[in-house]
Amino acid sequence: MIAALNKAFLYELRSIKSSWYKLALITVLPLFSFFLIIAIFRSGVAHDLPIVVVDNDKSELSRRVLSSIESSSTMQISAMVTNTKEAMGFVKSAQAYAVIVIPNHFAQDTLLQKHPHITAMINTQYILVGKILTSALSSTVMQNAAQVEYVKNLVEIQNPKATVDAISPIGIQITPFFNTYKNYFYFLVSALLPAMWQIFIVIATLVSVGTMFKGKKEKQFFQNEKYIGMKLLGLMLPYTIAFMLLGIGYLFYIYSAWAFQGSFIILVLGMFLTVVAYQVIALLLFVTGFDYARSLSLGAVYTAPAFAFLGITFPVYNMNGFALFWRDILPISHYMQLQLSQANYGANVFLELDKLGVLLLFWMGFIPVIFLFKKRLHKSFKKELA
Amino acid sequence: MKTFVSEVKNIFTDAAVVLTIIGGVILYSFLYPQPYAKQSISALSVSVVDYDKSDVSRSVIFKLNATAQIDITRQDLSEQDAKDALVKGEIKAIIVIPRAFKKDLALNKSPTIAVGADSSYFLIYGGVLEASMKSILTQSATIKVAKLLKKQVPFSQAKESYVPYSLNVINLFNKNNSYTQYVVPAVFILILQQTMLIGLGILGGGMNEKIRRREKGYFTDVPLWEIYLSRILIFFMIFFVHMLFYFGYSFSHFEVTRLANIGDLLTFGMAFICASIAFGLFLGSLFSSREIATPVVLFSSLPLVFAAGFVWPLEALPQSIHSLALLVPSTSGIKGFLGLNQMGADFSMVIESYAILWVQSIVYLGLAYTLFSRKRKKSIQNK
Repeated sequence: MIAALNKAFLYELRSIKSSWYKLALITVLPLFSFFLIIAIFRSGVAHDLPIVVVDNDKSELSRRVLSSIESSSTMQISAMVTNTKEAMGFVKSAQAYAVIVIPNHFAQDTLLQKHPHITAMINTQYILVGKILTSALSSTVMQNAAQVEYVKNLVEIQNPKATVDAISPIGIQITPFFNTYKNYFYFLVSALLPAMWQIFIVIATLVSVGTMFKGKKEKQFFQNEKYIGMKLLGLMLPYTIAFMLLGIGYLFYIYSAWAFQGSFIILVLGMFLTVVAYQVIALLLFVTGFDYARSLSLGAVYTAPAFAFLGITFPVYNMNGFALFWRDILPISHYMQLQLSQANYGANVFLELDKLGVLLLFWMGFIPVIFLFKKRLHKSFKKELA
Repeated sequence: MKTFVSEVKNIFTDAAVVLTIIGGVILYSFLYPQPYAKQSISALSVSVVDYDKSDVSRSVIFKLNATAQIDITRQDLSEQDAKDALVKGEIKAIIVIPRAFKKDLALNKSPTIAVGADSSYFLIYGGVLEASMKSILTQSATIKVAKLLKKQVPFSQAKESYVPYSLNVINLFNKNNSYTQYVVPAVFILILQQTMLIGLGILGGGMNEKIRRREKGYFTDVPLWEIYLSRILIFFMIFFVHMLFYFGYSFSHFEVTRLANIGDLLTFGMAFICASIAFGLFLGSLFSSREIATPVVLFSSLPLVFAAGFVWPLEALPQSIHSLALLVPSTSGIKGFLGLNQMGADFSMVIESYAILWVQSIVYLGLAYTLFSRKRKKSIQNK
């Protein structure tokens, strides 16, 4: 039995060595896609977002407000225009993300304590950019206003510490737990790399069995109808190893720069369960018709939307029933929870058993796979005898 | 005409192609928007650790609980207890009110409320932050107004002058930060392109395979322009219908805004379909077998989404990556469609994207034609 596994393993290794495509699927292609994702988010924070200004006041005070906006690293004033309509053109043509309007008599109204408003019209079609700009503009203007108030109060109170306390009676201190870097690189890349990784596992497995059946080499590979399960395991094994190495590779890449709280061993165990789960699912997709091109289409439908279902960008508890169901049948969503809870929270190992258990459930798919392969191979070998 | 009929047969008898360009397009249009079906984020479970236990701290808690984003589901005695609940996933954020909060407030000592949220998930983090900032700042302002009133300042003036000036934020487009509105319009454009590329890639790769095997058929006998013209017409018709289905039915079903006028949308859409077809023919001429298209297109999807500039701003993207992405029609397509349909841009504002799409159509078609005709000639000569 083990001999059958061993033989299949060596057969597939030779086949990978002779096919540049199979080799690229477990080396160059995944690495290149990881590289692209990393390069996209390399800067980690958004900076110099262009905004347009309509300054109806043109006073000393309005210039001070504008220069404090300009000095923030998040945004930059890309144009000064004379009316809102012109400014909106910049936003609609995506040349700027926001319009700042400083009202007429802004300085005068401030002096008269009439509490004027600066208006910021922010393009929230791009939610992420919208959120970044809203908070950057709010805090810049608030600080600026506080400075003005501070100077005014200092004249009245004559005590710097008491002046600060009078400006903000309650202070707020904000602590981000876990992803303490508030950096989008960590947040998105640590989920996008696994999302790319699972696509490659399914495709590489499908290419391995697909090319075999398309090239009519299945009889050469299986030789007889014995130990079909073992031979399939041997076929899968080179890819299991390759994707474990790639997986451990990206973990090292991410967590050499960012803190890792929990147990690396549990995470790697979960990773192993995930790789095999995906290989079993790929085989299940293949046995629906033993058709190479069609199984690739099914693999595409199954793996391509996975990132959206991970709950990283959009929270899980706000998903509807179908979305939760689809999320549950993707091994990567269980794996991702494990990665987050080990890396960020360092959760107790016993709290992770359910996730590992669910991943193991996917392995059950191997039973129908063996059964259908047996049926199919029986037909092929019988034809030969006849 | 004969070529056209053979092409129709060739395309519609290919299960993998039909599964993608018809089944896939419809299936994806339902599957992709599912996670965001509820659109925006509802209240988050939050725990409060109240070390003060005064009437003032209780009023702060009450007002926090009254915000749309925060739902106080627990009160813990210590920060450690609250943190344990956070790790177990029972709550998403913790708010801590310090000892002697009321006293310090009365003494003008500006006590500090601590807010901690799980920043592994940015929407959760942002939601808690926004709500608690707003609530606490409002209460801060109330206290200031009260103090001014004590100093015999009239209420109307006190209300106006608690800060010298402030910022009034107006959300343009997608006013309530709907996630569907953010993701669906852009991703749907990518789906149209990717399914088209897979379909044309399978067909093109399949022709190359047959030519390599020296098979004979209409694809070796008739002039190449007849094959390409038929294929372009068939794909154009199918995807024109898909486009109407997406921008008409799907957008209205998922409540996505449609600001563009129909003429602008269709004019731009035609350029986008043509560019995608040309790009698909080009890829098809490169692929050596039927099965290369699906993986290649699949691997490119996530990088293309994030390099398109709607999730992650172009300003933060390396220039080289953006230039690379501009070679693919979806990048200009997404920019133009979002401008027209989501932001109500005039056609003149998306003219650059429109021009890029036509240039792509011509260049890729030219490349596809040259490459494939060279491959075909070689195989015929070898005979």
